[in-house]
Amino acid sequence: MSSTVFKLKLGQVLRYLVPVYAVYGFAVLLPLCIAFIYSFYNDAGSTFVGVQQYVKLVQDSNFWISFKNNMVVVVICVIGQVGIAFVIATLLQTKFLKMRALHRVAIFLPVVLAPVVTGYLWSLIYNYRFGILNWFLGVLGKEPALWLDSPGTVIYAVSIPLVWQYVGLYLIIFLAGMQNISSDIHDAVEIDGASWIQKTIHVTLPLLKGVMQVALLLCVSGTMKTFDHIFVMTGGGPGTNSMVMAQYAYDNAFVMSRLGYASTISIGMIVLSTIVVSLVVKLTGGGLRNE
Amino acid sequence: MNKLGVRLVGTVTNALVMLFSLSAIFPLIWMGYTSLKTNKEFSLNIVNLPTKPVLDNYVSAFDVGDLSSALFSSSFNAVISVPLIVLFSFVIGYFFSRFNFRGKPLLMAVLMLGMLIPVHSLLVPLFVQLNTLGMLDHRLTLLLPYIAINLPLTSFLFLSFIRDIPAEIEEAAYIDGSTFDRTLFTVVFPVCMPMIATATILNVLHTWNEMPFALILNKSAELFTLPVWLTFFSSQYSTDYTGKIAGLVITSLPTVILYLFFSQKIMNGMTAGAVKG
Repeated sequence: MSSTVFKLKLGQVLRYLVPVYAVYGFAVLLPLCIAFIYSFYNDAGSTFVGVQQYVKLVQDSNFWISFKNNMVVVVICVIGQVGIAFVIATLLQTKFLKMRALHRVAIFLPVVLAPVVTGYLWSLIYNYRFGILNWFLGVLGKEPALWLDSPGTVIYAVSIPLVWQYVGLYLIIFLAGMQNISSDIHDAVEIDGASWIQKTIHVTLPLLKGVMQVALLLCVSGTMKTFDHIFVMTGGGPGTNSMVMAQYAYDNAFVMSRLGYASTISIGMIVLSTIVVSLVVKLTGGGLRNE
Repeated sequence: MNKLGVRLVGTVTNALVMLFSLSAIFPLIWMGYTSLKTNKEFSLNIVNLPTKPVLDNYVSAFDVGDLSSALFSSSFNAVISVPLIVLFSFVIGYFFSRFNFRGKPLLMAVLMLGMLIPVHSLLVPLFVQLNTLGMLDHRLTLLLPYIAINLPLTSFLFLSFIRDIPAEIEEAAYIDGSTFDRTLFTVVFPVCMPMIATATILNVLHTWNEMPFALILNKSAELFTLPVWLTFFSSQYSTDYTGKIAGLVITSLPTVILYLFFSQKIMNGMTAGAVKG
């Protein structure tokens, strides 16, 4: 590679990189700084109050309930999205299964929906009087259930639409990863008489380690920012039983008009998400591949 | 295992996966045909097919709910912001894959930051910022946030794509006397067409489906995008179930059509970052 051709010139920087980074700085970096600064101000955003808002945040049981709910949703989504997707992906690799292309297209379809649409669709499915689930319970001769209004189980109810919508994403990630495994390996293992379970645990899983790490990372970081679905289905209720951090920040800012405290929550969200995601990176062994 | 056992396992597995696939698409099919029912028919039986399909829900959504302006707003945001996202990401991808310069690690880290932070943590500060600058509630308000939010992921897609293109094609262009700008747009850009198509489709999906920023930054009814229109429609006409379902269909139809035409591109784009490191 000739070194003079690929040497950056000032004119190129000014013409290309500066405008692009100006937009990015304006709508991502500047807000981040503002959130940081505002998090030290009072609710109206007029007086500097030091770390007072952070003290409040640490003692705010509703914030920690939101965080706990976030973690419950993360666990359900890791099992439901990554887990189910992995099982189905391995099944789609076997000769047993028919109509593989159809399954792939059908299971992926919900991924392209707007989260808001998924939220409303599932609030209809969960609807007490007009919901498909209660209709089904009626057919079975059972009493209708309060899906989104029962405090104890609402957090599970709001997680299922998330699993439903995104399981297809992880399915195609695993399928793409499995395509890179040579078919010779599968043939050899099958000739040796390994069962599907043996093959999955001892051959597929180890070979997909890297893809699995990325899938887990995507799933955890994606689920940590859950907002749209819950906003539409329950708004965090009943009470705070399905409250998540993003919804809590939204409520504080736009329902209770506490912009300062909402900024503190936003920073808290960034810190906690970063900790959780780094923990996942650590637990799954090693970081993202460098390019 | 004997032959019969193998066949039994096969049948059960097929049935289970089929059930799972059905549960993925049945709600959408149900949504489709229920939108053709009247509320009366819906309340009598929620699962049956419509006895006499009607378009009333769609007609009233355009009349009562002012759906046409929501359709326009959503299209406007996508049509303006997506080409800019693609262009900007192409530029970043090109500079990062071809040049080594001081500050590059910093610029890349800053871009990475945008992917790592939960995007909703920007909601409150962006509201404060645009409020102070008097930039809220305008036709153009959402464009800059949409471009910036989608920039990191798309840039890294372009970065890994351009890295695999041999640099000789540009060197040849330079030897022929082409300028930098010309080389960038008439030599490199066309080679990137597959990634440009993928990036365009992915970002149309992202901007079309986006709700929280649209909800918070624009308050005037004529600026509502489809997802925001849905939230207002369903709070104002909370008992109009079939009307709401028609709204869901209209919001989803463009993305579903995109998917049916470009499923391979969408799947490739969404797996590119995960599988190819």
